[in-house]
Amino acid sequence: MGTKITLGQYLPGNTVIHKLDPRTKIILMIAFIVVIFLVKRIPVFLIPALYIVGTLLLAKIPVRYMASSLKPIRWLLLIMFVLNLFLTDGDTVLLQFWIVRITKESLRQAVFITLRLLLLVAGTSLLTLTTSPIELTDGLERLMSPLSVLKFPAHEIAMMMTIALRFIPTLMEEVDRIQKAQMSRGIDFSSGGLISRLKNMIPILVPLFVSSFRRADELAVAMESRCYHGSEGRTRLHQLKMQRNDYLAFAAMALIAAATVIFSRILGGAI
Amino acid sequence: MIQISDVTFSYEDAPSPALSHVSLEIRDGEMIAVVGHNGSGKSTLAKCLNGLLLPTEGTVSVNGMLTSDESSLLSIRQHVGIVFQNPDNQLVTTIVEEDVAFGPENLGIPSDEIRKRVDSSLAEVGMSSYALHSSSTLSGGQKQRIAIAGMLAMQPDVLVLDEATAMLDPQGHREVIDIVERLHREKGITIVMITQHMEETIGCDRIVVMGGGQIRMQGTPREIFRRGSELQDLGLDVPETVWLRNTLTSGGMHLEGDPLTIEETAEAICRSFLKK
Repeated sequence: MGTKITLGQYLPGNTVIHKLDPRTKIILMIAFIVVIFLVKRIPVFLIPALYIVGTLLLAKIPVRYMASSLKPIRWLLLIMFVLNLFLTDGDTVLLQFWIVRITKESLRQAVFITLRLLLLVAGTSLLTLTTSPIELTDGLERLMSPLSVLKFPAHEIAMMMTIALRFIPTLMEEVDRIQKAQMSRGIDFSSGGLISRLKNMIPILVPLFVSSFRRADELAVAMESRCYHGSEGRTRLHQLKMQRNDYLAFAAMALIAAATVIFSRILGGAI
Repeated sequence: MIQISDVTFSYEDAPSPALSHVSLEIRDGEMIAVVGHNGSGKSTLAKCLNGLLLPTEGTVSVNGMLTSDESSLLSIRQHVGIVFQNPDNQLVTTIVEEDVAFGPENLGIPSDEIRKRVDSSLAEVGMSSYALHSSSTLSGGQKQRIAIAGMLAMQPDVLVLDEATAMLDPQGHREVIDIVERLHREKGITIVMITQHMEETIGCDRIVVMGGGQIRMQGTPREIFRRGSELQDLGLDVPETVWLRNTLTSGGMHLEGDPLTIEETAEAICRSFLKK
């Protein structure tokens, strides 16, 4: 198990898109999901698709990066396509043999659902590609902070995410160390069936848990001695500030949404 | 100034108290070492200094504020910074500069002031070029320097090192000690060094030797190291230079003065040869 892992799929950069406020990017992502669901006709999917391509160009992210983030869902896409193709009812039969019956409507439905899912995943991965996990946590905290009026623990959740991110590499190293220690005591991790492999995880997990609790305890003491006392009266080193580009991005998204609605209408009853 | 008066502390379910009737005064600008074997109570003492632990009996006061007074705890912790043993378990955030900013953020200091403090603290420990690095890529010594910077950003008067060098390699150890000594010398920060390494105590103004939850000896390094056999009874050693000096003198060599550091010892040995 390697100790060098990259978190999420963040691709560091210094472009306009990278510099957008994380809050903007989170809101845009949600807006984008809404836009996708506003699409009623297949050709209109071109609008969100163009948005994705445009953002990729602005963020200088190579297309293969985006492609690799879509790779894990290729089977899901295929299954969705096939299921919709065979199971949707329709009148205009295109192909019929044995129990298979493909109609014009089912083909349309299959293409539609597949495109929708594809664009959804591509659109949301734009956020994780261009925003570091730390910025993301920061943005989420600020966005959720109005909810703290309703006793929603926005700060606590963000702090937990921050600490989790901080400790992932540390715990990976620890797993590596424990694994080597157990291997030197004769545990074989690489052979055996599924059950015995799972059983072999126990000598890793138990020490990992024990040490994690010890770490948590020490970290709590260290945080306390650094005057941590929750979100009350806390300031931040980096202050998030909406800038001109953020407003521009919102305006662009509004235009895209409007265009999507209008074109869906214009195309009316067509495919 | 930290005033520890007749402090007793017992952990829950422990048969005997970790500290019993300890009284100690730590003066401003002092560099003091607290040494002791495992279980001597030295780490418990450290945690009492900024109110992480509250004494079962007795009081600890920092600049006149009692640690038992909850309303002054934040102020006490801002004055007394503690660097702990494990570098991995005291950094809170991934990015170095954000971690250094953690303390000032908690104190509610305005952003631009935090920025200044972070930059100057990182410069102080020589880690400015790592400001935007991820702390997981740093060595143990570098992580401890970041932890020290995190304390400096709160602008403390007292820096407590609770075995802060125990898990470091010799290089990291040296880096940390050099920085601490410089902070003491140049900024006049009071240093409390809790340690098992007797070598670290040579440069201190005063050594407090603990054993079984009590203060057993106290004095300047020279005074303490003359009582080598008593130290050994407490499971402690004298520094190598002192050992060498004692061995040489008991073998019949006359060493002038009272050499303590490596340089002093080397010079004394040379002088002794020249006289012959």
